[in-house]
Amino acid sequence: MNYTSLFGYLLGEVVLTAAAFVILIADVMCHRKDDVGARNQRMAWWTLTGLFLAAVVYAIQFAQGNANFADGTLVINPLNLFFKEVILVITAITVFFSMEEPVSKHVGEYYAMILFAAIGMAFLVTSENLLMIFVSIELLSLSLYALVGFQKQILRSAEGAMKYFAFGAVSAAFLLFGLSYIYGATNSLSLPAIAETFKGDPLMARSPVLLIGILFTLVGFGFKIAVVPFHLWAPDAYEGAAAPVAGFVASGSKVASFVALTKFLLLGVAPAAGAATISFPFTPHFTPGWAPVIALMAFISMVWGNLAAITQTNLKRLLAYSSVAHAGYILVALFGAKAWGQTAIYFYIIVYALTNLGAFGVVTALANKVGGDDIRCFAGVWRRAPGLTVLMMIFMLSLAGIPPLAGFFGKFYLFAAGLAADQMQLGYLWLVITAILMSAVSFYYYLQVLRVFYVNPASRGGPISICPCQRWPMTVIALIIFLIGWYPTALLDWIQGFLQRV
Amino acid sequence: MNIALSDYLLVSAALFAIGLAGVVMRRNTLVIYMSLEMMLNASNLALAAFSKFNAALNGQILVFFIITVAAAEVAVGLAIIVALFRVRQTVSADEINLMKY
Amino acid sequence: MNLLFYIFSGLMLLCAALVVANRHPVTSAMLLILVFFFMAGLFVLLEAFFLAVIQVLVYAGAVMVLFLFVMMLLDIRSSQIRRQNAPAMLAGLSVGFAFWVEFWLILRHSALPVGAPMNFDAGIRPIGKLLFSEFVLPFEITSLLLLAALVGVVLLSQKETR
Repeated sequence: MNYTSLFGYLLGEVVLTAAAFVILIADVMCHRKDDVGARNQRMAWWTLTGLFLAAVVYAIQFAQGNANFADGTLVINPLNLFFKEVILVITAITVFFSMEEPVSKHVGEYYAMILFAAIGMAFLVTSENLLMIFVSIELLSLSLYALVGFQKQILRSAEGAMKYFAFGAVSAAFLLFGLSYIYGATNSLSLPAIAETFKGDPLMARSPVLLIGILFTLVGFGFKIAVVPFHLWAPDAYEGAAAPVAGFVASGSKVASFVALTKFLLLGVAPAAGAATISFPFTPHFTPGWAPVIALMAFISMVWGNLAAITQTNLKRLLAYSSVAHAGYILVALFGAKAWGQTAIYFYIIVYALTNLGAFGVVTALANKVGGDDIRCFAGVWRRAPGLTVLMMIFMLSLAGIPPLAGFFGKFYLFAAGLAADQMQLGYLWLVITAILMSAVSFYYYLQVLRVFYVNPASRGGPISICPCQRWPMTVIALIIFLIGWYPTALLDWIQGFLQRV
Repeated sequence: MNIALSDYLLVSAALFAIGLAGVVMRRNTLVIYMSLEMMLNASNLALAAFSKFNAALNGQILVFFIITVAAAEVAVGLAIIVALFRVRQTVSADEINLMKY
Repeated sequence: MNLLFYIFSGLMLLCAALVVANRHPVTSAMLLILVFFFMAGLFVLLEAFFLAVIQVLVYAGAVMVLFLFVMMLLDIRSSQIRRQNAPAMLAGLSVGFAFWVEFWLILRHSALPVGAPMNFDAGIRPIGKLLFSEFVLPFEITSLLLLAALVGVVLLSQKETR
C-alpha cells in the first residue's frame, strides 16, 4: 500500500483533524472579540460539520472492500467502520450537550480536544497492532485528562484531572510493561501475528513471559475500562469533570477501550485463556491464563460497583459506580464462544454507551438549574421538567435492565454468552449467577434515583426550560433504546453480519 | 559468561519495582511523576533487550514511541500540577482529598 | 562488556532507589538524570545507539528541564517537605519487593534465548526506513498526540485573566 491509498483510507480521520485545526485557528483569529456563548455555538457547529463529513466518508468506505495496512496498524472492515460511526455519534451528542452553556471560555480548545479524543477513539477501534493500540490510547487519554481539568479554577475539576492522570499514567506504565513482554515472547506486535505464534508452538500458551505480559496489559486495560480494583479514578474524574465531558468519558472512551480489549483477548491471545471454572458440585478448576484474572475482575466489579453505588449521594458518582458494575457484566461475556461472546459484548457496549450518555445528558441539562448534581437537588424535578424526567426514567430502567428496553436484551445476551462458555459445561455459572443477583441489587439504586425525581417533595421554582440542543439528542437516544428493545435482533443481526465480513 | 536476556529483564523488573514502590509510598506528586518515568523506562529497557535478542527492530521502534509519548504525558501531568497548585497551594497527594472514595 | 553492564545497571538501580528515598524533590530530579544516563549506557550495550541518543536528548534534555522548571515555578519550600507516613512506606516497599521476587522466580524458570545475541543492523538508517514505511501511521498519530498535549498544557497551566 502506498501513501496515497493510505491517505484515502484515513480520510475520515483527516477530516476530523482538519476540523480541529479550523476550530483552533478560527477561534483565535476571527472570534476573539465575540461573546462566549455565541462563540461556543459557532464552534460547536464547526465541530458538528466535521463529524458529519467524517461520518459520510466512513459510510462511503463501507462500500469499499476490507483493507489491512502494515501489520494491522490500520484495519478497515465493516465492523471497525461501524464502531467509528458509533464514536462519531457519541461525540456529536456530547457536542450537542455542550452547546447551550460553554464549559469554559476557551471554547475553541474545548471542541478541538473533543475532536482529538474522538480521533484517538477512532484509531483505537480500527487497529489490531499493539503499538497502535498504545499510541491511540495515549492520544485519547491525554485529551481526556485535559478535558476533565478544563474548569481548572474549580478545585473539584483540577483534583479530578489530577487523579485521572495519576491513575492513567500508572496504568500506561503497566500496559507498556505488559506489551513489552508480549512482544518479547511472540516477537511480533500485530494481534493476528501473535495468534499465529500459538499455532507453531503449543507451549506458547503456557509461557510465563507471555502470561505475565498479558496480566500487566490487563491491569492497564482495567484502568481504562474502570473495573475494580482499578476504578478509583472514575468517581472523582466523573464528579470533577463538566457533565458533558463526564458523559463522553463514560461512553466514548468505554466503547473504544472495550472494543480494543475484546480484540486483544479474542483475536490476539485467545489460546492463552486458561480457565477459572467452578463445576457442580463446587469443584473449582483453575488454569493459568487471562480467564482467572478477568473472572476475578468481573466478580469484584459487579459486587463492589453495585454495593458502592447504593451509598452514593452524588448522581455523577452513582453513575460512575454503576459503570464499574456494568464493566463487570460485560467481562462475563468474554468467556463465551468467540463469535457469540463478541456479538454480545459489542451489542451491550453500544446500548450501554448510549444509555449512559443520555443519563449524563439529563444531569447536564438540570444540574445548573436545580443547584448541583447531588441526588437530593433533583427532588421533585418531575413537576418542573416532566419530559426530561420521563427520559431519565427510560435511561435508568434500561440501565437496570427492565424489559422491554434495550438494556434488558443487552444483559440477556451477555449472560447467555457467559452460560454458553466452557463448551456448555456451565463452568462460569458462578459468574452469571453473581451478575444476575447483582443486577437485582442495582434495581434498588436506580429506582431510588427515580423516586427522588418523582416522589420527593418538589423544590421551589417554575418550569425548567431545556435547550432544544439537549432535548432532541436525548429524545433520539431514548427512541433508539426503545426501538432496540422492541427489535433487538435488528442490531444483533447487523453486528453478526459485520463480524462475518471481517 | 555473556550477559543473558534474563539479566537485562531482571534489571528492568527491578527498576519497575522501584518505580512502583515510589508511586505507592511517596506523597509528593512531583516525585510520583519521577517514579512513573522510571517505570516507563523499565519497559524501554525490556523492549530494547527483547529487540536485540529477537534480532528484530520493532522493539526499538516501540521504545522510540514510548519516549515521545512519555515526554508529552509528563508535560500534561505537570500542567495539571500547576493548575492544581493555583487553586490550592500544595503538591502533596495527601491534601488532594476533597472527594472521598 | 560484562563489567560495564554490572556498573551501569548497579549504579542505575542505586540512583533509582535514591530518587524514591530522597526527601528533597530537586535532589531526586538530579538523581533521576543520572538514572537516565545509565539507562542510555545500557542501550549502548544493547547496540541501540539511536535510542541512547534519544534517551539523553529527550529525558535528560527536555523532561527533566520541565520537572525542574515546574519546581522553580511552584516554589516547593512554601509547601513544606513533609514526613513520610509509615503505612504508605511499608506498602510501597512490600509491593516493590513482592513484584521483583515474582519476576526473579519467573525469569529463572522460563526458556529465554540465552546464547550470544545475533548481530543485526540497528543503525539509524533501518530505523528511519521502518518509521516511514511500516510505522508511518503511529508516527503521524504521535504528531497529533503532541499537538493535543501542547494545547492541553497551554490551557491547563495558563493563568486565567478575569
